Amino acid sequence: MERNSDNALRTQPSDRIKLNVGGKLFETTVSTLRSGGPDSLLAALSNRPRQDLLSDPVFIDRDPEIFSVLLSLLRSNRLPSTSRRFTKQELADEASYYGIESQLKSAMLPSRLSGIDASVVATVRPASDGVVSAFAADDGSGSLWMAHGGQISAYDSNLTHAGTIRTHLDQITSIHRVRPEIAAVGSDTTSGLHFYSLSNGRHVGFADWTDPSDPRIYKARVTAIADSPDSVFSAFDCYHRENCVLVIDKSSLKISSEFARQSGNSSKTMVAGKLTYLPDSGVLVGSAVTSGAFGYSGYVRLWDPRSGTVVWETNEPGSGRSSRFGDSFADVDVDTDESTLFKVCSKSGDLAMADLRKLGEDPWVYLVDKNPSMRNTGGGSDSVIHCYRKQVFVGRDGGLEVWSRVQEREGNVERENKFHEGSYKRNYVDKVVDSERGVITKIEGGGDRLFVCREDSEGIEVWESSSFSGAVSIS
Amino acid sequence: MPPFADSRPPLNELHQNKPDPSSNIVSIDVGGQLFQTTKQTLTLAGPKSLFSKISHSSDHQYAIPFIDRDPEFFSILLSLLRTGHLPSKAKAFDLEDLISEAQFYGIENLLLNSHSNPSQFEAFNLEKSLVLPLNGRDSPSAISTTQFGSLHVAHGSKITSFDWSLRKKSTILTQFTAVDSLLALSSKIAAAGATDYSGLQVIDLDKGFVRETLNWENVTRSSSTVQAIGSSPQYLFTSFESGRRNSNSIMVYDLQDSFRPVTEIGHSEIFGANLDSAIPATKLSWVSSHNLLMASGSHSGPSGVLGNIKFWDIRSGTVVWELKEKVDCFADVTVSDNLSAIFKVGVNSGEVFFTDLRNIGNANSWVCLGDARKVINGKKEGVGCKIESRGNQVFCSRGGDLELWSEVLIGSSRKGRDGLEERVFRKNLMGRVKDLGGSRITSLGFGGNKMFVTRKDQQSVEVWQSSVRGF
Repeated sequence: MERNSDNALRTQPSDRIKLNVGGKLFETTVSTLRSGGPDSLLAALSNRPRQDLLSDPVFIDRDPEIFSVLLSLLRSNRLPSTSRRFTKQELADEASYYGIESQLKSAMLPSRLSGIDASVVATVRPASDGVVSAFAADDGSGSLWMAHGGQISAYDSNLTHAGTIRTHLDQITSIHRVRPEIAAVGSDTTSGLHFYSLSNGRHVGFADWTDPSDPRIYKARVTAIADSPDSVFSAFDCYHRENCVLVIDKSSLKISSEFARQSGNSSKTMVAGKLTYLPDSGVLVGSAVTSGAFGYSGYVRLWDPRSGTVVWETNEPGSGRSSRFGDSFADVDVDTDESTLFKVCSKSGDLAMADLRKLGEDPWVYLVDKNPSMRNTGGGSDSVIHCYRKQVFVGRDGGLEVWSRVQEREGNVERENKFHEGSYKRNYVDKVVDSERGVITKIEGGGDRLFVCREDSEGIEVWESSSFSGAVSIS
Repeated sequence: MPPFADSRPPLNELHQNKPDPSSNIVSIDVGGQLFQTTKQTLTLAGPKSLFSKISHSSDHQYAIPFIDRDPEFFSILLSLLRTGHLPSKAKAFDLEDLISEAQFYGIENLLLNSHSNPSQFEAFNLEKSLVLPLNGRDSPSAISTTQFGSLHVAHGSKITSFDWSLRKKSTILTQFTAVDSLLALSSKIAAAGATDYSGLQVIDLDKGFVRETLNWENVTRSSSTVQAIGSSPQYLFTSFESGRRNSNSIMVYDLQDSFRPVTEIGHSEIFGANLDSAIPATKLSWVSSHNLLMASGSHSGPSGVLGNIKFWDIRSGTVVWELKEKVDCFADVTVSDNLSAIFKVGVNSGEVFFTDLRNIGNANSWVCLGDARKVINGKKEGVGCKIESRGNQVFCSRGGDLELWSEVLIGSSRKGRDGLEERVFRKNLMGRVKDLGGSRITSLGFGGNKMFVTRKDQQSVEVWQSSVRGF
């Protein structure tokens, strides 16, 4: 009996509740309010005595119009079109007041990036010194840090400007997010790897490559940065071309070890221009490419960062066993989701892939595509390549193309199937007018957005996929 | 979250005006606002909708059911239930919101009916109203529509599907380099084929995988490319040609029985210089009034363009009628059930011809609807023209322009030489002055109350539509 009366007093998820927001009455259910999470303000409001829920609505001194948008979001898990009357910032502020930011965030995220169906949604332009020298995208949130004219501008997941700091460097050429608020930056004109806090703009640490036994190791500059959960890897290059990779502890920001030291007197021993850490195998992938009068040359090398030993390497031209002798790569990238290495050939412009788990003498599988509209895309010089969401994006001069896999049957594609030359199909992402905006210098994906940076143009293009048809009405 | 909470009586003043169970009037509380309607209105929503649940539950309960949704949308959807069309105040809302709200209540089909019903198609009142952009650089190669106006567009190796409201799209990648024939089997499933790829694929456009690959086993054991796809309510027809181009056939599959091959018609092998049998059908249309399949194909050779139009009886597998096209062969041909006639554009003259289905056995039954003297000209004025029929009208593209042909019914008509009364067809140019011209039209499609037009080198689909009430 006692238990029964207790039950009658406690609020039930299906109970109805009235709220008075800015003078407007809303009626909903307790379960709707609680769907924003147990810690939200709205959930707290629902924990009142049952008899008061309808008869005595709580007064909330906020704008009722925004509340009605957020209530629709809680009811249906989608943002109604009336949300377009408000800026993303207004909605985010109001959602954080009610404690339902996560709900709003998931409703506002772009849909899964599909290269065959993407368009430019925005160009993020900093207010001054707009030509971007380096940028880093965060995959979790889709936020963006860009370095321009010695400044670092942060843009949040709505791509609204969150803040800009000035560093002591005049030209930042590498930037990497090592902790949520800490950026590691390096420059090809000033020595050392520097850590800046984006929240207060302070220089919080640095790493310099020195060797007590060798005075020539001096003023080494950073060419590439990568990170694992507990350390930061950075490639350093001295003026006399000697180079190495330093391992820096993430928590103390102090150098913990050094490996891959090499002389730098040939293209095989150049400093790595690109570093990628593979979380699955704990291997660091480094690549370097130079181009000169005799074409492109470079290497791809896999190190075990704990021992500093080389696990696998290939040099082009040079190792000689490549079936495409004389057609060395122009750019390399690793698909960490699929453990695949992709290269784009400098002469033919062909794309090749290699299974990182089955590397050997010549692991490359050259992809074939018969798309007749892409026959005249030219060679691979000035190509950049980036793997994101199991697709390979290639920038050739100004054109942006994507290689994506056809799903042949329901469910997942089998792995054996993946490594044959016809398993990827090639399509343009962009239109001809897009390609006329300039040579693509860097592509990076994050938060289902593709960020594209072009030579000598201000800002960064943001490409997204959308289920919205974008129909244009003619009247 | 329960969609509506009616387990306990509300504790507020609404409690007092208890609904009388015997009364016809139903009260519903949506998001704090009280609505009243009748059971009849609610039953219009259909047995699967939330409304019918409410109207049933109110039979034996005294409480007013509460629905935790936005009352503003509800008032619009209630108007839709009452009148069958959206009130003008719906203009203030986005159609996408209304659709998602209607889906919640389970009455999307009513919205669809009020919005994209094929009966609302008014050929004389079509205006260019929307452009649907396609991402990437490929122009559409084939389009297909469903009855209620969802649209599938093949461009390059991709197929983009638009829902009936044309507000949402999704794109999948296919194994084809380019899709040459596309036929929507539903808003989620389409059959696709190409002239350079073996096999007909039935593709799930929602998830993007191939459900079924249908192949034709030809004698040379080479690949079987798809030349055309057509369907009747029961069957799926596919015109195959062998990879060596020396045999062709039309396969009939059962749509209701997981694409089981039913029969093969019109199988032909080429021996020697028998050119006529080398022509595969490139257009398949079902003539429901006669239960016949119209298959047409043409071939351009040194002596001009030759072609044939055959009418197949599926059950017996025989040709009922055949039109051999030797002079001024069709550039495109269409059959109209409503007008009971076939229409073609002559490849040399570029003029539109028709022949009455009742008159089809007679020799040279084509009636030229333009300048008949151009029939023997050596030019190819009709190349690239498309002709399609819809309802009582025939649409013919000429370069970038569209002609609309309609029949004028004249009471006191004279008998023609073939014993049938003379029929009068007249044409109009479609669109306003600013819509005229443009790139060459590559395909025409009809669905719901809309017409879809694609043009050469345009990465978009034009939508022609007559204005709808409400929006």
